[in-house]
Amino acid sequence: MENNVIIKTRNVDFYYGSFRALTDVTMDFEQNRVTALIGPSGCGKSTLLRLLNRMNDLIDGTRVEGEILFEGRNIYAPDVDPVEIRRRIGMVFQKPNPFPKSIFNNVTYAPKLSGITNKAELETLAEQSLRQAVLWDEVKDILSRSAMTLSGGQQQRLCIARALAMKPDILLMDEPTSALDPISTAKIEELIDELKRLYTIIIVTHNMQQAARVSEYTGFFYIGKLIEFNNTEKIFTNPAVKQTEDYITGRFG
Amino acid sequence: MMAQSTMRWRYLKQKIFFGVVRLSALIISLALFGILAYIFFHGFRAITWDFLTLSPTDSMTAGGIMPAIVGTLYLTVGAIAVALPLGIVSAIYLTEYAKQGRWVRIIRIGVNCLAGVPSVVFGLFGLGFFVVFLKFGSSILAGSLTLGILILPTIIGASEEALKAVPQTFREASLALGVSKWQTISRIVLPSALPGILTGAILGVGRAAGETAPIMFTAAAFFTAALPKSIFDEVMALPYHIYVLATAGTNIEMTRPLQYGTALVLIALVLGIDLIAIVIRSSMRRRKRW
Ligand SMILES: Nc1ncnc2c1ncn2[C@@H]1O[C@H](COP(=O)(O)OP(=O)(O)O)[C@@H](O)[C@H]1O
Ligand SMILES: [Mg+2]
Repeated sequence: MENNVIIKTRNVDFYYGSFRALTDVTMDFEQNRVTALIGPSGCGKSTLLRLLNRMNDLIDGTRVEGEILFEGRNIYAPDVDPVEIRRRIGMVFQKPNPFPKSIFNNVTYAPKLSGITNKAELETLAEQSLRQAVLWDEVKDILSRSAMTLSGGQQQRLCIARALAMKPDILLMDEPTSALDPISTAKIEELIDELKRLYTIIIVTHNMQQAARVSEYTGFFYIGKLIEFNNTEKIFTNPAVKQTEDYITGRFG
Repeated sequence: MMAQSTMRWRYLKQKIFFGVVRLSALIISLALFGILAYIFFHGFRAITWDFLTLSPTDSMTAGGIMPAIVGTLYLTVGAIAVALPLGIVSAIYLTEYAKQGRWVRIIRIGVNCLAGVPSVVFGLFGLGFFVVFLKFGSSILAGSLTLGILILPTIIGASEEALKAVPQTFREASLALGVSKWQTISRIVLPSALPGILTGAILGVGRAAGETAPIMFTAAAFFTAALPKSIFDEVMALPYHIYVLATAGTNIEMTRPLQYGTALVLIALVLGIDLIAIVIRSSMRRRKRW
């Protein structure tokens, strides 16, 4: 496993002010695999996810201890530019959050600002990203329409396309289907299965079946601690820790 | 039983409350309408094409007010040109960059105090600083700067509100794509906040166009038939012209219709500028929906 690890945390503690939200989290994330983070609400799943692309930097008064190594380099080292990290580690949020711009401009927004100005190149990139997000056929004739006119499920796939347009190495997804209907959810789950050939995916989900369906590895968190981390199959069929078993069988959470 | 009578009492309270609210709204509307009607009926006879396009004649007891209209337009545009960029930049600093804490709180209190300072104090400051110290003389430049500072708090306040109203999720979405903070602000946050910022500008325009005290020492001329040739020239201005005719004119009673006519023009000018801004704002709102 060690060979293909793309990002790993080492003894990470994380504080919001004086409140410790994560305690001693050590985890390896394998390349081109889907890793699911599960656990009851408030256990720190989102916090960990946002640590991986330095989104927690945006919150005043937070502190990280320990190391997060991306391709062997600590992303919290003083000489690391968080903007660069976020280009390589994309994120999809719980609620679809397209910009109030056209569909095309949503997808090309970040690539343009990162220096791609050639129109043909941007068009190719937009098509490629929208195809990868399995949205192309639905929007190819309405690219100049406002993204706000799309359905929730389409908006979320647009947000995925927007993240993919930056060609990240890792895609972080924080409960990407929790605001969506079952059909949209199924579409996005299929999509995740496709995407892992090209990207490493780390997904937070409160939906046990979803974790079982889409992921190869699953980490179970409880009150800021990583309780158990193993093959998804092992976690769901034969968990080693009693707390994990209680959670996945629905006895709490 | 108990529950029912409580319900009824609540319902009654609600009725009374709404009644009071409606009544105050009515009184305010009536007062506004009354003032407008009063000025209209006293002033509309003075409004002729000549009144709008000629200079005053016969020691300002006849003729038109064209130089004052032009002067007020210059001063107002100048004030907005000074205050809008400065106000937006300050608001961006306060809401997006400054660490929220004591320092920012002190700045905010300062800005609010500035909003409460009587306008004549701004006039004296403008006289001391722009006219005398910076040697701009009594001029469009000095007057615009003074009015600009006067409306700065309004614009900062409205811009701050508008920036805060932009959903945090927009900022997060942009930053998570590896877009820098400044690009996020200029490409996403500012365009979304622009309609709200314009509201502040509208309020500012109304205030800048209507104030007399800040310009009487810094820009306004008692009488010039000629239009200004540069920003270092003095100008006539509508509010100051009204003040002059009503207090220091050669024949105060005789020029009453001119005074009301000038007031009417001033009000129409302010409402006109407001209307333009409102139209721009609502069309921007329609385009940017979230
Ligand atoms: N911005 C914040 N400021 C302070 N505490 C926070 C903040 N965000 C989350 N927390 C706290 O950190 C803990 C973990 O939150 P989170 O990572 O969002 O949990 P999860 O995603 O597993 O539901 C919770 O107790 C939550 O209240
Ligand atoms: Mg969460």
